Amino acid sequence: MKKRNTGFLALAFMLSSSLVLGACGSNNNAGGAANGNTGSSPAPSADNSTGGNTKTEGSGEAVNLSFWTLFDGGDGDNMQKLVDEFNKSHPDIKVKNTKLVWAEYYTKLITAVGNGNGPDIGISHTSRLPDLINQGVVTGLDTVAGEAGVDWATFNQNLLDATVVDGKHYAVPIDTHPFIMYYNKKLLKEAGLLGDDGKPVLEQSADGFLAFLKTLKEKLPAKTTPFALSNSNDDPYRLWWALYSQLGGNDLVSDDLKKAEIDKAKGIQAAEYIQKLFTEGYIKKNDPDFYKNFQSGTAATMMTGVWATGTWETTKGLEFGAMPIPKLFGQEATWGDSHTIILPLTKSEDPAKRKAALIFADYVAENGQIWAKAGHIPSKPSVLEKQEYKDMPYRSDYAAVASTVKFNKPSTKTWQIRDNVSFKILNEVWANKMKPAEAMDKMEAGVQKELDK
Amino acid sequence: MKMKNWRADAQALLFLLPFLIVYGLFTIWPMFKGVEMTFYKWTLIRKMEFLGWDNYSKVLQDREVWEALGHSLIFVVLTTPTMLVLSISLALIANRKSVLQKFYRSIFFIPSVLSVAVASYLGLFVFQPYTGLVNSVLHLIHLLPGDTEIFWLTETRLAWIVITLITLWWTVGFNFILHLSAIQEIPDEIYEAARLDGAGDRQMFWRITLPYLAPITKTITMLQIIASFKVFMQIYIVTGGGPLDSTRPIIQLIYQTGFKSNDLGYAATMSYLLFVILLVLSALQYWMNNRKGADM
Repeated sequence: MKKRNTGFLALAFMLSSSLVLGACGSNNNAGGAANGNTGSSPAPSADNSTGGNTKTEGSGEAVNLSFWTLFDGGDGDNMQKLVDEFNKSHPDIKVKNTKLVWAEYYTKLITAVGNGNGPDIGISHTSRLPDLINQGVVTGLDTVAGEAGVDWATFNQNLLDATVVDGKHYAVPIDTHPFIMYYNKKLLKEAGLLGDDGKPVLEQSADGFLAFLKTLKEKLPAKTTPFALSNSNDDPYRLWWALYSQLGGNDLVSDDLKKAEIDKAKGIQAAEYIQKLFTEGYIKKNDPDFYKNFQSGTAATMMTGVWATGTWETTKGLEFGAMPIPKLFGQEATWGDSHTIILPLTKSEDPAKRKAALIFADYVAENGQIWAKAGHIPSKPSVLEKQEYKDMPYRSDYAAVASTVKFNKPSTKTWQIRDNVSFKILNEVWANKMKPAEAMDKMEAGVQKELDK
Repeated sequence: MKMKNWRADAQALLFLLPFLIVYGLFTIWPMFKGVEMTFYKWTLIRKMEFLGWDNYSKVLQDREVWEALGHSLIFVVLTTPTMLVLSISLALIANRKSVLQKFYRSIFFIPSVLSVAVASYLGLFVFQPYTGLVNSVLHLIHLLPGDTEIFWLTETRLAWIVITLITLWWTVGFNFILHLSAIQEIPDEIYEAARLDGAGDRQMFWRITLPYLAPITKTITMLQIIASFKVFMQIYIVTGGGPLDSTRPIIQLIYQTGFKSNDLGYAATMSYLLFVILLVLSALQYWMNNRKGADM
């Protein structure tokens, strides 16, 4: 009996100790894992060098660049296509695309760069950029951009400004993916709310949108959802951010990024408005899958990021339209973020590689019509004029939103504030378990706590 | 004699060496490294700043940590006793001589071969409103009016029930096998003798089966408590720790602190707090077993 007990205790000890390690021991070894899963990049063909920005350093040796991305699905395919086209048109540069899993991407990038095993080129969200800069993961681009002939003036100013921190360029924005509105044409027509131009008959005001939803609710069968939206986390938060910004709300942190500073009255007004949409039954309570709800044609309108466009397009029998979210309050604004190309810090900061990398980044932005297939808005206004872009339906309907996206201030804590504070507290408001005023107080305390960490 | 022992030991050591090296490298050494981490502000990129005992004094005062520990404890309390009762009951059912014996054994065990993600997503689909199995059945038998829904996943109490049910269903198989084999080891003669003495089924269960199962039950209890304290994935998938962190277990907080808030040093400190708690629990169990073991 005694012996068994000792063995048992040892077992318990092992189990509990492996737990401790599981939680904290994995900071050393993340870089290697990424090297296995590489996309196939075809060899550059010499006779097809028609690209506009070909490199002219006559060494003959191709510059090899490793590129880490976090895209999957349609995004992943489009990025691979861009890489392939680039490799074909630039025989002296070879980009190798490595797709990482979204959820692990940033952790892997940061640890790999920390170990000196990072890629030559990476992707970052604009909202994540300040954190990466602060940690020393990302390098400034001002010198190399000049060498590579990148003309910052060719980018949408709003998107570009969000990637400039402390007066320095840190990233090349390739798109913006704002929060927009989709509508089901069949259902709107049934409710008599579709104009002859195929656009909703909707007065752009707080009351106007409510009246619009009310009509939808009254005229359509009971099982139809007037406005499909998830009941928690990202999308209702994005709507809140959009309305808060439309009211002129000034972010959640102070200009020096050190203090929580919420325009509470505006935050409350925006939250109260959205709460009403939930409590008055325009949004289906605890909708298990609001994408499916809209996709299957049982929701009249829905709001989410532009990335849904590609999905709706390929859905048979779904007649839909896309538009900026209505201007309900004072000024046009919406939630949005951008994908940007960054140059992570590498062991040997090879100037040739850095230059080649920026040529690639500019190429991706320049060929935004390929990237726009999923629904993103290209970062260069010139792309919007390309016939190829115009030929794609829906996208032009909301392309102008790029200039009204309200980005977060460049705080290193943007993601933590969003995930650990805003989502959680606002979820309670949508569930009607917390008053908007109380929520704003709690958010302010929560934001401060994150900033103090 | 002594020489021979020494030889056997050396031989054993030789065979154990590969394991010991790997174990030392990937378990023991990181443990010490982990202790080192607790004294630093240690980020993913290892931008370090020496903090001394700051993380420790912070962790003891951090309400979030104690709340999360409380949630892990709730989970332990919810799952451990129910698990034991369920496991023994299922073992008894499967031990009965019946045509269905094999069938029972497989259906009780099969869920435990699933991965935690599969089990949790199945649970999600079953309990989700509008289309989930549970609400649909309740509608069908008119226990729930057609226009109302039970939101199993977004009410704290209901969410705990769902998480417990998923966990029981998914993990009972392993304990069930342990109990079943223990039951089968009980000599038939004892039951025969008891029956001759006029004992009923109930008496035989309480006086024979249960005492014979005591050692394995103790082991299962301890393993279950430790495993339950480590709960993370099923809660993460089913509720994400919500609503408002009311189901967030300590491991989720450790994960968030380390990898989302980029503070590995503080996360390691929390890990060691949990480690100490589990160690105390194990020691307590050891001590209790030893005391009882004396009169068995």
